[in-house]
Amino acid sequence: MTRHTARVSRTGLLIIGLILLLAAGAVLARALAASTSVLGSSTAPVLTHTQVQYPTQHSWVWPVVAAVSAVIAVLALWWMKAQTSTKTVRRLPLEPDHVHGTTVLRADAATGAITDELESHPNIRSADAALRGSRRSPGLRLDVTAENRGDPAAVRRSIETEAIPHLRQALELETIPTVMRLQFSRAFDRHLT
Amino acid sequence: MSETGGQRGQTIVIPAPSGPPRQERTDVWTPEARHKARLTFRPRRTIPGVIVAAVVAAAGIIGCIWAASAALSHPLWNVPHSDFAGPLQSTVHWDGTGTLLVASAVAFVGFLLILIAVIPGRTRAVPLATGEESVVIGVPRRSLRRSLRWLVQDVPGIDKAKVRARRGTVKVRGTTRLRDTADLQEKVRKTVEDRLAALDPLWPMQVKVKLRVKEKEG
Repeated sequence: MTRHTARVSRTGLLIIGLILLLAAGAVLARALAASTSVLGSSTAPVLTHTQVQYPTQHSWVWPVVAAVSAVIAVLALWWMKAQTSTKTVRRLPLEPDHVHGTTVLRADAATGAITDELESHPNIRSADAALRGSRRSPGLRLDVTAENRGDPAAVRRSIETEAIPHLRQALELETIPTVMRLQFSRAFDRHLT
Repeated sequence: MSETGGQRGQTIVIPAPSGPPRQERTDVWTPEARHKARLTFRPRRTIPGVIVAAVVAAAGIIGCIWAASAALSHPLWNVPHSDFAGPLQSTVHWDGTGTLLVASAVAFVGFLLILIAVIPGRTRAVPLATGEESVVIGVPRRSLRRSLRWLVQDVPGIDKAKVRARRGTVKVRGTTRLRDTADLQEKVRKTVEDRLAALDPLWPMQVKVKLRVKEKEG
């Protein structure tokens, strides 16, 4: 769900921000001679000759650097994927009874039913639905565009008291955490006469 | 400037032509519902997150290739790996201007990322009250502004209108050719308030209307 991706993005940004700030802070502290006894002299060169020669004399350095870089790259790619994935549910198990076999419902059948129901409402121009999160307790994401001249209270009522309960019934779920975005459009609708 | 609709009592009125009556505001405007709505609609920070992830991934991949090639003694770059930090060696000191500048820049970027991560940010949508705990509804701020602008422009006498939706306030600025603005102002305010009441936002929204009289040309 959106809250999940938000947490993933924000946590990652916080970690990387902290790493950068701390590293740069340490460099600045040494450069400004904040603590010569701990960090060393501020007038010393950044890299000494021995440090530069170190990799040539120790063959393990480059493979280790390569491995660490690879791990960082994999972590960053995983983070990127976690941020962009919508976690859309495609199949829903309907019968939790594994002994007698399971019934699986295609998620687009359920979301198609709710969008059809919504779009048949005279004040709704278009609707889009998706099930997200875990298969056992999915969340519903609804995007509804309503006719601006219509009564939004009526639109909301039909969604909250009809469309969502119908989907709940169809999926045999107690509740479906729903996030809905309601937008408005001015173009005259074919239903509106 | 006219202001009303900010009090709970006045925004209770929801036109309900059919169906069950909606709940009382005190039941719906709960701190939990507001907190949940805020969490749902606050910026996700996916764009900066993906950009930073891409930069880190690219750096990791380049670093990995370079280090691997150096390990095999065939560096891809014509920087001899034995001297990989050639320019840094002995000429750059800890207290050099370059070191200070680079470290400051990195610290600034780090600070910026922390701010992006920590600041909640303005909600992308105006949350609406729902009777149910499991349902969160929001109108994207831009859509709300557009919707209200269309409604105001449909009020007879209004030529042009601009709407701004801030947290807790909706500001309408319109131009008219009519002389008597008091009546028109009231009409505009009523239009906006009625729509807001029908939408039923999770926070009370104050409506402010400002009209400018445009002189007739010719």
